[in-house]
Amino acid sequence: MTLRLRRHEFADDHKLMMAIVNRTPDSFFDQGATWAEDKAFERVATVVEQGAEIVDIGGIKAAPGVEIDAAEEKSRVVDFVARVRETYPGLVISVDTWRAEVGDAVCAAGADVLNDAWGGADPELVDVAAQYDAAIICTHTGGVTPRTRPYRLEYDDVVAAAIADTMAYADRAVAAGVAEESVVIDPAHDFGKNTFHSLEVTRRIGEMVEAGHGRPVLVSLSNKDFVGESLDLPVGERLIGTLAATAVCALAGARIYRVHQVVETRQTVDMVDVISGLKLPRRAIRGLQ
Amino acid sequence: MTSRVVLVPGVLALLPEYAGQTDPVAELRAAAVAAVGWAGPDAEVIAEPQGARVVEALRAEARAAGVLAPAGEPATIVVANGSAKRTEKAPGHLDERAAGVDEALGEALRTPDPQHLREWDRGLAAELMIGHVDGFVALGDLLASAGPAEVDYADDPFGVQYWVMRWRCES
Repeated sequence: MTLRLRRHEFADDHKLMMAIVNRTPDSFFDQGATWAEDKAFERVATVVEQGAEIVDIGGIKAAPGVEIDAAEEKSRVVDFVARVRETYPGLVISVDTWRAEVGDAVCAAGADVLNDAWGGADPELVDVAAQYDAAIICTHTGGVTPRTRPYRLEYDDVVAAAIADTMAYADRAVAAGVAEESVVIDPAHDFGKNTFHSLEVTRRIGEMVEAGHGRPVLVSLSNKDFVGESLDLPVGERLIGTLAATAVCALAGARIYRVHQVVETRQTVDMVDVISGLKLPRRAIRGLQ
Repeated sequence: MTSRVVLVPGVLALLPEYAGQTDPVAELRAAAVAAVGWAGPDAEVIAEPQGARVVEALRAEARAAGVLAPAGEPATIVVANGSAKRTEKAPGHLDERAAGVDEALGEALRTPDPQHLREWDRGLAAELMIGHVDGFVALGDLLASAGPAEVDYADDPFGVQYWVMRWRCES
């Protein structure tokens, strides 16, 4: 099934880079490097130049911290979305929010995708997506409250839970009027999951690809704590581990990669696609002259 | 009665199973497809097994492109090429003798000079990684009554000397 992200369509064999753009002063990876609007706009220009198909704009960091109400969140993202929309009509704009009120405002400003990293915490978000014919990303968090860390959460089968919850969320979105071709599922590494859970989800991501019945799987692996704990490395030294996890997911058929490093991730995914025969080598002559 | 003779190199990059997103031998391919097409569907092929596969693929491309001539004059396609030791990046690295041998061979093909094509120092040819000496010897016999070659391609983009040539022969 062709994936449609509001105005933009992508063929089944097209793997997409979703570049993270933080409009936050405190996100874990960049520590507020793009908090200033112009810095965030420069980040958009850079990732577009690097070939990202999607930007994912977020106004609230995922981890616990200072309470950001809907008005403050909107002030961080709505005008910015409008500016990006005007400058880059061909770019897919996703907004990382769980709030329907914020979703409404950003879709009115031109956003194409609502990335609900918190698994449907606000039940009206799907109605907003449907109203604007926008796409929605349905994540699995194990039912935790937004902006909380996992604490002693356990699952009988974390992959089965991720499949069941994201597919149920996706069904709810479709029932609310979101187009079937505009629903994406995401197991949400590290959200409501300890490192062992995230590793198991990575190892068995192919089960989710299969169970999605054509609903594309998004993976958000970039520099996360499960990579850090696996290799005992701090933020800033997790790129190689991220790319290894990316390769595993790419081989299993994940379609969208939410990333900090676009170029490195694209090369990894392209290499996997060439190995698996989905793509040809760019240019091969060695030994064939 | 006239006949047609074609020379193409046995470049594996011409095979569809080795295709990439961009074609490293696009110019050679265009010339070789046209020449093999000119020889028609029933041309005899003088080649080693890999070369025969290359001709089969080129013929299929010619057919698909609508440039395969109808059956008519007898025709022969020879698969052979010059040295694979022409540069430091060449498959066999650089052998200083390669350029001179290829130059004389190229001239003997253009003229043509059947006697030059028949007479080989096979030890030297093997050292220089000349592609399919027996093919050049066969050309010596085939071109006894041929006019000068139409040279469609003559280059060494990867340190291997390629020629695509066509001749008409009276018999």
